[in-house]
Amino acid sequence: MGLTTKQKVWWAVITVVVLVYALFPVAAIAATSFKIPSELDNGRFLPGTWSLINYEQILVGDAQSLFLSSLRNSIGISLIATAIAAVLATLAAYAIARLDFPGKRLILTTALAVSIFPVISIVTPLFNLWRTIGLYDTWPGLIIPYLSLTLPISIWILTAFFRQIPWELEQAAQVDGATTWQAFRKAIVPLAAPGVFTTALIAFFIAWNDFVYGISLTSTEAARPVPAALAFFTGASQFEEPTGSISAAAVVVTIPVVVLVLLFQRQIVAGLTQGAVKG
Amino acid sequence: MRRRRWMAGGMAAAAVLTMAACGADDGPPTLTWYINPDDGGQAAIARSCTEDAGGEYRIEISLLPRDASEQRQQLARRLAARDASIDLMSLDPPFIPEFVEGEFLAEVPDDVAERVSEDVVAGALAGATWNDRLVAVPFWANTQLLWYRTSVAEAAGLDMEQPVTWDQLIQAAQDQDVLLGVQGTRAESLTVWINALVESAGGHVVENPEAEAADVTLGLDSDAGREAARIMSEIGAQGLAGAGLPTADESASLSLFQGDRGSFMVNWPFVWTATGAAVEAGTLDTELLDDIGWAVYPQVTEGQESRPPYGGINLGIGAYSRHVDLAYAAAECIVSPENQAEYFTTNGNPPSSISAYDDPAVQEAFPMADVIRQSLEQAAPRPQTPYYNEVSTGLQGTWHPPSAVDPDSTPAQSSEFITAVLRGERLL
Amino acid sequence: MSAQVAPAKGSGASEAAAEEEARKRRNRAQKSDRTRAESRLGWYLAGPAFVVMLAVTAYPIAQAIFDSLFRFRLSAPDERAFIGLTNYVVVLSDVVFWRVLGVTLLITVVAVAVEVVLGFALALVMHRAITQLRGLLRTAILVPYGIITVVSAFAWFYAFDISSGFVNTWFAWVPGVDENLNWFANMGTSLFVIIASEIWKTTPFISLLLLAGLAQVPTELEEAAEVDGATWWQRLNRVVIPNMKAAIMVAVLFRALDAFRIFDNVFIMTGGANNTEVLSLLAYRTSIARLEIGLGSAISVLLFVCVILICFIAIKLFKVDLAGARGEK
Repeated sequence: MGLTTKQKVWWAVITVVVLVYALFPVAAIAATSFKIPSELDNGRFLPGTWSLINYEQILVGDAQSLFLSSLRNSIGISLIATAIAAVLATLAAYAIARLDFPGKRLILTTALAVSIFPVISIVTPLFNLWRTIGLYDTWPGLIIPYLSLTLPISIWILTAFFRQIPWELEQAAQVDGATTWQAFRKAIVPLAAPGVFTTALIAFFIAWNDFVYGISLTSTEAARPVPAALAFFTGASQFEEPTGSISAAAVVVTIPVVVLVLLFQRQIVAGLTQGAVKG
Repeated sequence: MRRRRWMAGGMAAAAVLTMAACGADDGPPTLTWYINPDDGGQAAIARSCTEDAGGEYRIEISLLPRDASEQRQQLARRLAARDASIDLMSLDPPFIPEFVEGEFLAEVPDDVAERVSEDVVAGALAGATWNDRLVAVPFWANTQLLWYRTSVAEAAGLDMEQPVTWDQLIQAAQDQDVLLGVQGTRAESLTVWINALVESAGGHVVENPEAEAADVTLGLDSDAGREAARIMSEIGAQGLAGAGLPTADESASLSLFQGDRGSFMVNWPFVWTATGAAVEAGTLDTELLDDIGWAVYPQVTEGQESRPPYGGINLGIGAYSRHVDLAYAAAECIVSPENQAEYFTTNGNPPSSISAYDDPAVQEAFPMADVIRQSLEQAAPRPQTPYYNEVSTGLQGTWHPPSAVDPDSTPAQSSEFITAVLRGERLL
Repeated sequence: MSAQVAPAKGSGASEAAAEEEARKRRNRAQKSDRTRAESRLGWYLAGPAFVVMLAVTAYPIAQAIFDSLFRFRLSAPDERAFIGLTNYVVVLSDVVFWRVLGVTLLITVVAVAVEVVLGFALALVMHRAITQLRGLLRTAILVPYGIITVVSAFAWFYAFDISSGFVNTWFAWVPGVDENLNWFANMGTSLFVIIASEIWKTTPFISLLLLAGLAQVPTELEEAAEVDGATWWQRLNRVVIPNMKAAIMVAVLFRALDAFRIFDNVFIMTGGANNTEVLSLLAYRTSIARLEIGLGSAISVLLFVCVILICFIAIKLFKVDLAGARGEK
């Protein structure tokens, strides 16, 4: 590339600054997670002796049942909420992008309104309703409210995606004598799939991040998701700080995020920018 | 015709329900015990009682959050949802009245009540009683001791064989340039400290704990309340507990105590097991363990017996449990003196059973066992009112940080504030 | 319809006219059939999503409004009583509510202001970066975006905590920072850490919105300004920013509404100590922790009203065109 040395130096500096900004807090908690208990209070960044004791604690030790069950809950609930949102949003976005019908704007406006809705405002009535109908502390009891988080943004992002798809291909396929199903499978699916996938990724991040519903609508290992479990970790007795275990658990649940980001950064960026600002 | 079908449907439904109620049919009924976090002791007791039951029932455990008020929230929310899966609960005593008033607890049968109140330290019995009835089964009883570094006490010229006062500790900390270990974080542990100070000064945080919300009278705006505030503000304002005081919980005060400037600390007996474990793991020196001494909680007024904090856990039986009888049978097994002694030696949580203290294993693992028992006899519970959460949170809000406590105004202000909250006139 | 009354004038002409009329009518009928079918299909497809969205928000908020009119404590269900607007009077006449609202607004304003500047800088960096670097930079800034807020809160909390933190050791050279600084013991310092963690976590989102806005700025304009001898700063100020005003406004509004609902960081770091309580936390503590469903619902409803007000002000006063900016047009 035609960069001068000065520019190269500049870009190197900028890159380092951005990397430090983005990764430093993650590195900090990762460093803490490798400390032995007596080093937690020594005021240093790096552990003196690197130890896996905290990981043992959460993966095979005392905190195992709390952590692993919450991990299972989080993965299961987030995936299901994401899948439902993706299906519903795909149908809705297809209709909005491709069909002309009264109420399109209403649906988009509703999605917008729902996405700015303060979660805490609905958590109390939901808690009250759930305890009456028996959904309290169950998977569906979290999946349903998670839809209020994942569905609106999915509809927006997918609508934006679908509007850019060259739908003539669909007609062309039909003209070529393909059945509707073939046209759908051969032409539409490949066109729409990347958008749906991206949307699902972003929706998953949102569901994975939830805390308010998680601590309010669950109370046992039956449904408690990871962010809520992190706040409930415990040391050897109830008076001891679980700093090490929390750090280790935090690192474990951050790994999937980093992996997804590494693999799909292009799609995530496209999804967020397309769904967000257009025209 | 229609009616017959309806009846048939009803019978089918009833059959399904009965089958569901019997559970998996082939196994004994499973009792779920919601436990506060510990070092695995309650899980061990659950296993041994399941064995002892000889197939009559099985006990499974489910873990509650770390923070006492969070534990209350989780349980109260489930019980408000009429959760039938709650058979046994490890309850922090101050929250028991609220649970009784909310009809969350199954009544204790008279014969059980009689058996489980024998051989129990006074504080624990009081903590399990509401309106003169035993409402929970006393399990283990906690109390705070005054832990000290013998070297510091000697340097300060304090005779630890005799009861010491807070003022002596303050003096020693000033003279020796060392730090006191107290819990000043805005959490339940702050209430524990305030209550112990007020009670030791001869007062009560709540004068009439059994009153309705609007009639509750606070005893803070009194000489005892002001004396408690004076001690707290001196320690806070002079930095005698270090800069970490406003966020110091039990764990933080323990690390302070183990550190170079450690001196005196009020804390629960877990500190002994925790320090022992750290020494064994090689992260702390053995010398430290040898330097640690213990005494009964410090006095506020010289010569007036102190009222140490009382804590611990009692067992409540869920009002909606399907197996109340079995749950009480299980509770009696759990609280047997042998189990309590074993629990003490492995987890550091002191028994409520008087005889458990005579267990040789207890005496060996806890050289301070007798002091703990004495402390429990002297201990004063936190206000036992159904509105404990409001009282406690109100105290934490008005007496925090300790350095901002003013003996002249804080007690009166917090009284006023908590009263207004209880009347529903103010937000908490 | 008014077209039915066909005036009968001359016979031949009128017949032709009538035929024409009838054809039109058939056409219209056909067309409206198609339209009807299309809108039916549209609602079949979009309806479920619409219903779900309403069910998970409209119903609960209606229930919250209803509950807020009662004195209702979960641990004393028998004492439930209708008390009208008393809960609102209690909340609105309490200085606590206004202090909490003030803190929430302060966090929102400071966080969003810093984020816009920082996010804009990040967006510029990503916009200008050469292709090889672009992927790396984007991946890096997506980490804070994707990380769980609670995890980020713990990371920042442990870094600053007086016992487990390293910040006091590292920054001891900064005036006012030493090993005895307890960040979570004062309002100012606690808020500093809370806001810093909020900024760290959400700047990537705002910078991506701004990046999309940057891409919309016509390059010709910028080039023309460059030819005219405008400096980098002048170009940014006179060409780039005015052209992406809409994108900036939308980004600010969305982040402001999001920041206004802040909960996780405060819950983890201070739990509301040192006057750092925010509206969401107050609502949570009242209804979930104290089990005061009535009072808590009143706070929830007021929080909802605040969000609507912010939205209203932004749209009416600052003319933020949400629909337009979000692709509907």
